Formats: sequence, structure tokens, C-alpha cells
Amino acid sequence: MRIPILKLHNYLLISIQTEIDDQTAIQFQEDLLDKIHKSGASGVVIDLTSVEIIDSFIAKVLGDVVSMSDLMGAKVVLTGIQPAVAMTLIDLGIHLKNVPTALDLEQGLIKLQQELGV
Amino acid sequence: MEFKQLVINNSDSIVQKWMEEIDSLKDSNYTATISDELYESTNREFVNVIFTSIRNEGSTKAVEDFSEKIINLGWPLSYITDGLQIFRRVSTEYLLTQSEKVDSNFFTNLSASVNDWVEPLIRELVNEYSGSWEHIVSLQRVALQELSAPLIPVMEGITIMPLIGTIDTERAKLIMENLLEGAIKHNSEVVLIDITGVPVVDTMVAHHIIQAAEAVRLIGATCILVGIRPEIAQTIVNLGIDLSNFPTKSSLKKGFSTALEITGRHVTDLNVKENNIEKMMDSLRGE
Repeated sequence: MRIPILKLHNYLLISIQTEIDDQTAIQFQEDLLDKIHKSGASGVVIDLTSVEIIDSFIAKVLGDVVSMSDLMGAKVVLTGIQPAVAMTLIDLGIHLKNVPTALDLEQGLIKLQQELGV
Repeated sequence: MEFKQLVINNSDSIVQKWMEEIDSLKDSNYTATISDELYESTNREFVNVIFTSIRNEGSTKAVEDFSEKIINLGWPLSYITDGLQIFRRVSTEYLLTQSEKVDSNFFTNLSASVNDWVEPLIRELVNEYSGSWEHIVSLQRVALQELSAPLIPVMEGITIMPLIGTIDTERAKLIMENLLEGAIKHNSEVVLIDITGVPVVDTMVAHHIIQAAEAVRLIGATCILVGIRPEIAQTIVNLGIDLSNFPTKSSLKKGFSTALEITGRHVTDLNVKENNIEKMMDSLRGE
């Protein structure tokens, strides 16, 4: 199954609604980078509000996607990480140090605008 | 069996001796503040309960009622244990005086038989007491838990968590949960953790706070650690704890103004008061 990527002006919006398995995550990584390349988007918001579980592999993929998008000139913000997910990640020692985060989609877009200096 | 019958038949004299003994305890003891009448009536009830229990081989109803009453009145546990020890001694002595020939075999039998009546009573009463204490402790633990990680939304987007008292692993977990849930519930951009009231910050506490701050960052808010006292700052540096990843401030006041900056606000004086006074002065001068 593939995760839909929506384009909004200069941004790409991704809302992950299901539990992601490893295959889906890799597919998503490729899809997103393709889309950034095609659309020339300068900002990406990945919303994780409905995600209840993130394991170390998914966390790694998310971290990688952020770095990769950065390389392609698109800023990524993760939004809506649930408390339980945050706690699990910290317990696993995954700090996602270079990843910008925001409370919800709205705040995420504001953050993107700030970072892009629009 | 015959010892038991003997004790029950001669309960009056045993009770009398028991009352004398326990009365002598009153002045030197805990119960000094209790009025004589209450002491007397409680003693009577107590000795009645003892005899009921002996007669019925451990009827628990009377014992339960009595212990509940005593616990509610706040009498100490030592009253119960003293009373039962005295009863054991008094009845043993009484039985010894009643028998003509005493050898070691006889004494062993007698002592075993008296213990048989007294020990279940002691066990039950002590259990009732410790049960009530455990209940109180568990209630207090719940109350403490409610107080241990409060979260105060002070302004749109700004939330404060004041921490008071030592932090252990269990509490740290609660703090993190409350912090994250609260930040999402109140939609807070900035969360201030105030550790003014935390007496000691060791590596473990610092570790927990850092974890909480990291988790807060993951959900998309900023965490500011405020209320770092000079001695805490010294400990943190001496222990080699790295807190450079998130902002720290010495006082809640400074932290709050940083929080205002982050949320894009600042405090402005309105000067209304001063103007009003000047107007009043002007109007007075005009008259």
C-alpha cells in the first residue's frame, strides 16, 4: 500500500493514517523524493497524528527522509507525534536530533514558512 | 480443655486482676490523655472481646467490631498488644495458683493452651491495624501522585509544570506522561519545567528531565528548564551533564519572557494609572 502525497502550492502534505510496515516506509521514501523532484516543492509536512506505533526502523527511515529532502532543497517538518510515540522513541534512544517538529499541521506550516523565510 | 473451662468459670477474678494491671499502665503510658471513664469502659469492652473470643474459639465478628472502633478512635497498637500480653500473664498465673501439683509437663501444657487462645487474637488485631495503615498509605500515595506532576496552562501556547520534591523513576515517568499529554491538550508551543522546588539534581534526575525535554521536542513543542539554583548549576556541571540542547533559565520570570519571545509576544505597560493620576492633578489645579 502506498501513502498519498498531496501538493499544496509550494508544499507537500503527507498524512500517515495507517500503521506503516518496512516495505511501505521504503516505498514512501522513494515516492516522496520523486515527488519533490517533480514538483520542486520547498517544504514538506509529514503528519503523524494517527500513528500509534513507530519502531526503530520507521524512525530511521523518517530521519533519513528528512536528511534526503534537505539535500534536495526541501525542508521537512514532522507534526502530531503522539505522547506515547514520543516516549517510546526516547526510550529507544532515538532523538531525531535534526528533525524539526511541530504540534499540528497548522503549526507545522507556520514553522516551514519561518524556516524558509517566506 | 479444662484450663479453658477454668478460666471461663473464674473470669471475674481474672478480669479484676487484668484491670488492675492495665490501670497501672495508664499513667506511665500513651493513654494518659484519655479520660478515666473512657479508659475503663474500653478496658471492659476489650476484656469482654477477649473472653467472647476464647469462648467461641475465635469468633471474629466481635473482634472486628472492637478493632474497628479502637482504630477509629486512634488508640495505639501498643494498647492492644500490652492488653493481650497482660491477659496471657494474668491467666497463666491464675491457672498456676489453682493447681496443686506443678511439673514441667503440666506447665508446658498450660502455656500451650493459653497461647492457643491469645495468639490468634493478637494476629487478628495486628492484622486489622496494619490493614488500616496500609489503606491510609495507599490513599496518601494516590493523593501524592495527583500532586506530583501538575500542569498549569498560563497563556495561549504556554504551559508551566512546577516540580516540588525529589524525583524518582516512577515520578519521572508520570511527569513525562503529564507533560506530553498536557502539551497536546493545551496546544502549547512552549512548556516550562520549573525545578526551583527540587532539592537535589543528580545524574538520574537530570537524565529524566533531559528525556522529558527531548520527548517534548518530538511532539513539536519547546521545553525550557527554569529555576536552576546556583548549587544545582554547580552539581550539573560537576557531574558533566550536558544540558546545552535545550534552553535553561535561572528563574521562572526569565523563562516566561523567553517563552513570550518564542511565541512572538511581549509585555507592554499601558501607563493607564499614571495618566489617570496626572489628569486628576490637572483637574485639581484647574479648579
